[in-house]
Amino acid sequence: MKKLTALLLFLLAFPALSAGAIDGAQILQKVDRNLEPESYEMMRKLINVEPDGKKKEFVLYSVKKGRDKIVALFLAPQSDKGRATLRLGDNMWLYIPEVGKPMRITSLQSVTGGVFNNADILRIDYTEEYAVESAEEEKDQYLLKLKAKTNEVAYDKLKMWVDKKALLPVTIECYAASGMLIKTLRFKDIKDFGGGIKRPATLETDSPLYKDYKSVMLYAQIKKRDFPDEVFSLNNLSRVEDLRK
Amino acid sequence: MRRALTLLACVLTVAARAEEFSFDASEFEKKPFEFGGYLEFKSERAQLNRDSSLYKLNGLDLDTLDRNTATLKFNAKYTQGITSLNLRASTEVRHDNLVTERTNRFDEAYVSLKPDPGVTVDIGKQALKWGKGYAWNPVGFVERMKDPNDVELAREGYTMVAADFIRNFDGDLKTVAFTPVLLPVSDQTNHDFGKPDHLNAAAKLYLLWHDTDIDFTWLGSGSRTPRFGFDFSRNLTSALEIHGEWARMRDVEMRSIDAAGKVTTRTSDATSHLIGLRYLTESDTTWIAEYYRNGTGYTESQLTDFHYLVDSGNPALFAKAKQIGPLYSRPNVGERYLYLRASQKEPFDIVYFTPSVTLIANLDDKSYSLTPELLYTGITNLDLRLRASWLHGSEYSEFGEKQNERKLELLARFYF
Repeated sequence: MKKLTALLLFLLAFPALSAGAIDGAQILQKVDRNLEPESYEMMRKLINVEPDGKKKEFVLYSVKKGRDKIVALFLAPQSDKGRATLRLGDNMWLYIPEVGKPMRITSLQSVTGGVFNNADILRIDYTEEYAVESAEEEKDQYLLKLKAKTNEVAYDKLKMWVDKKALLPVTIECYAASGMLIKTLRFKDIKDFGGGIKRPATLETDSPLYKDYKSVMLYAQIKKRDFPDEVFSLNNLSRVEDLRK
Repeated sequence: MRRALTLLACVLTVAARAEEFSFDASEFEKKPFEFGGYLEFKSERAQLNRDSSLYKLNGLDLDTLDRNTATLKFNAKYTQGITSLNLRASTEVRHDNLVTERTNRFDEAYVSLKPDPGVTVDIGKQALKWGKGYAWNPVGFVERMKDPNDVELAREGYTMVAADFIRNFDGDLKTVAFTPVLLPVSDQTNHDFGKPDHLNAAAKLYLLWHDTDIDFTWLGSGSRTPRFGFDFSRNLTSALEIHGEWARMRDVEMRSIDAAGKVTTRTSDATSHLIGLRYLTESDTTWIAEYYRNGTGYTESQLTDFHYLVDSGNPALFAKAKQIGPLYSRPNVGERYLYLRASQKEPFDIVYFTPSVTLIANLDDKSYSLTPELLYTGITNLDLRLRASWLHGSEYSEFGEKQNERKLELLARFYF
């Protein structure tokens, strides 16, 4: 009887364990790795759609290494060709060939205009930028509530709905520190890219700040590939094109 | 029938959707030879200030100056293994009330060797850009001067040999990059850099340390006097960046003219510095502010003396002023400046539309130029820019004595 009472008290004190606790941090780690391998190259098309249906498209070649190093090179349109952006942790730079030197940019700015900002275009691992505040189980999804680790992160809080089976994000709501919803990201069209990479091929976003506008990112040719650390440096931003095979 | 219509609607929706968001990455395969560039047309009307010193020095007799400029910029790159050949050329035809001029030049033409991801050697004409300042770069020791009125304007390089040695690390010090430069000057090569018959050595050491960019720059004695400096840049928050530059120039020769027309040459060390920030507000307004102290600039009284001579009506004094005039008519010839630029991203829900306004003020004589601008980039591969400028200042002040009083400029740039 004493043992049973002790067990009941223990379960009352730690209700999460009794309910089969969800490890939000572990889910987030898996989301990161299921979205992309640690080191890879990929092609993306970014489409900004205006309320009247008019579109502007950008094509980017990106390479990433580790959890927080990513560089992206603009291949189209011609007006932006040769521009390159680099991110090392919280640091971001933009290189414009005409200007001839990299300049620091911030995560909330946008090198392409439209709804995606620099933090969306140069996204690093979620675990690198956010801590899991809570994790809840819904019907066929997990809901993770994430809080930015520093004030240099673009969004102060995220609500991330994760598909239980695939452990891939379905919807992410991004909030400012004031609690205002900045944008909603929707992951769609799960596709097998080969090499064990199966992930959404489309990312759509809209924002209450840009009424009736939306931006779309299409993914292609995601391949595991390792790069030397020196690729991710300011002095190499004018030479990112040399990485392409 | 109803089912068939529903099915047809579904098929059409899927087809439209697929067409709307298709992406064939194979269209963007890498090619060994790549080229691009733009064709630009610029039309300007300047209202001239007949009372200004620079108007008188230029000997004009016009109220307005209309100028049309057509520019073709061409970039090409050929890559073979670890070697690439890079070209950036331009041809420009400029026609105004006074003259028609044509300029052809290679801004850059160099061979680049990359034997290792951390090593690059570039040989030929190239435009190095040093410094973190937006409008001015006092640490830019081996480059042509930037125009603060058009900071993104392509600049011509110098012929040199430059290398990059890059190493990345884990920890607080993330990157170290060393850039040594050798720049020869003779009557045929880089003749406008400085005194001929010198092989000039320069270097830059870059560190990414504690999330801060830091550069140490140096130019040895040769065609120019020796100089050294440093710069830094850092993001303080997701919306705020700060930067600065400091440069010390040894034995700088400064020529000035006093109110009596006597020309004095003084040699001394000079220090220039700059501090600035870039801030993005919640309503998507970007503010850029910079304070610049020009160590080789003229004091307010020196500028007043020069303008007084031009205005004196004495032909002998005017001739003396005209002789030294090029030194006084350089951009930003004074000592202390403020640069302030506010640009609003996509106001009134008009995407790719960026209005901005730029103020460049001489803090000593309180004169300034104010430049509002409208930029539209919503049509693929076409930039449209409308820009106006007002120059204001009292008699004998820097901007009050410029040739132009107002200017309106329309620019269209087509990329190919």
